[in-house]
Amino acid sequence: MANYEYRGAILSIPDNDSEYRGYFEAAGEHRLVVKKCGACGLLRGEPGPACPWCPSLEWEWVEVSGKGTIYSYQIVAHTVVPALKDLAPFAIVLVELDEQSGQPTSEDGLRIVANLLDVDLKPEKEENVAIGARVEVIFDDEPDGISIPHFKLSGEPPKGETWQHTI
Amino acid sequence: MGAMAIRRAMDDAGLDSTQVDGMLSYHSGDSTPSTSIMYDLGLRPNFYMDCSGGGSSSEALIGLAMGAIEAGMCDTVAIFRSMNGYSNFRIGGTGARAASGISGIDLMKRPYGLISAVQQFAFNFTKHMATYGVKSEDLAHIKVAHSNHASNNPKAMMKQRVSVQDVMDSRWIIRPVAHLLDCCLETDNATCVIVTSAERAKNMKQTPAHIIGVQGRGTKPGGDFHFQHGNMGRVAGHYVGPRIFDMAGVKHEDIDVTGCYDAFTYTVLLQLEDYGWCEKGDGKDYVKSGAINLGGKRPNNTSGGHLCEAYTHGMNMVIENVRQLRGTVDDYCPDAANGVHTYDYSEGGCRQVKDAEISMNMGWGTPAVGSALIMRK
Repeated sequence: MANYEYRGAILSIPDNDSEYRGYFEAAGEHRLVVKKCGACGLLRGEPGPACPWCPSLEWEWVEVSGKGTIYSYQIVAHTVVPALKDLAPFAIVLVELDEQSGQPTSEDGLRIVANLLDVDLKPEKEENVAIGARVEVIFDDEPDGISIPHFKLSGEPPKGETWQHTI
Repeated sequence: MGAMAIRRAMDDAGLDSTQVDGMLSYHSGDSTPSTSIMYDLGLRPNFYMDCSGGGSSSEALIGLAMGAIEAGMCDTVAIFRSMNGYSNFRIGGTGARAASGISGIDLMKRPYGLISAVQQFAFNFTKHMATYGVKSEDLAHIKVAHSNHASNNPKAMMKQRVSVQDVMDSRWIIRPVAHLLDCCLETDNATCVIVTSAERAKNMKQTPAHIIGVQGRGTKPGGDFHFQHGNMGRVAGHYVGPRIFDMAGVKHEDIDVTGCYDAFTYTVLLQLEDYGWCEKGDGKDYVKSGAINLGGKRPNNTSGGHLCEAYTHGMNMVIENVRQLRGTVDDYCPDAANGVHTYDYSEGGCRQVKDAEISMNMGWGTPAVGSALIMRK
């Protein structure tokens, strides 16, 4: 199975896709994974084929906690995707995972993109979206065995001061 | 359109078909290839190349044209960009783009509704707003300046002057970074710039603009998924800027007029800061100080730029700076073609910068990718 319909679009994840296939298969088992370098051991946020920090091409998928902090966000008031119009306004969040924050330099972190949803997988209310808010991964299951990772508010105290735009 | 643009540029430079022997273009699968235009123009290039690329390619290709000329591959290059950016392949992502399948790195973004250009860069600016206390109305001042400039450009698509309130009252596209009027136009257009050696240019019809510095598609750490590294509000100009000022041997205060890629008002703010026109975080005050307005210290995008003249994927800001250095900006001054200007920048008037000697362009590809160009009279 290589093509999956999700929110009106076709996700193409062929069996021989070494970059992304494992990510969505793990999500199907409700595990959030990132790539770990086989040599230096550093994790990477973008699931690419090589380690940005050392010369190694060796890697493996490793599970992370799925907990993190909203690093930045955007509220989509107008979407160009017809199938998403009913969802708008909705939040897309950039989440910095707890693992490896501030490493290997103080400016790096594992940051991944997803929607901020509530427990029913509906868009979280805009007034609850803030930089600094704590989140945890949830999964939107697809019938064909994969799942799409999203985040929801974890209810933990925020990390540092929060920031949100004036509504 | 591509053939029209090249022909008109050749006419402008006073060149016939035997005198242009190089072609360069860039596209995102949405342009006319050089090979299908060269015959119509009667050209037989010794060198041509159609590069894949988006914003910030204009300046980069000017550098490549210089290299091709210096390598002896050709003598004179027509750089063009032709795009049905409104009627067909819309840069904003509606239509065919939104309906296409999702694979590769897009799997990490598009399933979440992150698709259009304004969204691709939005995380960077939300973070910047949070870090430095920038407000949406600060950005609106950029649109106001560029719209004032466009009102003096007979060719601008959107000549209507707008106010800060007009921008704030336009509907939201992406909160908190962009109202509708913070976003550029979408335009069917073709553009052309001709590059040759300074020696050959001496004998041509127009006063040439001399290239004294060029940097092409420099990057910050991280490419496509550039969210990994930051201070996310820092863009490629942070790295490109020192290189081009060093190459050109000029300082910021030497520059009379700038062209800064204004896909969105926030791309201007981030680049003005990272190229060092003000301290990081002070862009909000810089754009409100009047410095970027015609009549100000260093006017920016005097044609109206992408926000108001037309969306040309970066070319029109380079073309406008060439006009400025020639001193014959095509504004509403009756004898503009002969370099006679009123310097009255009120609506429907002049847009020539007085005594413009040195210009700079800042091309934006993404937060991670940028190009720059410095020219002198």
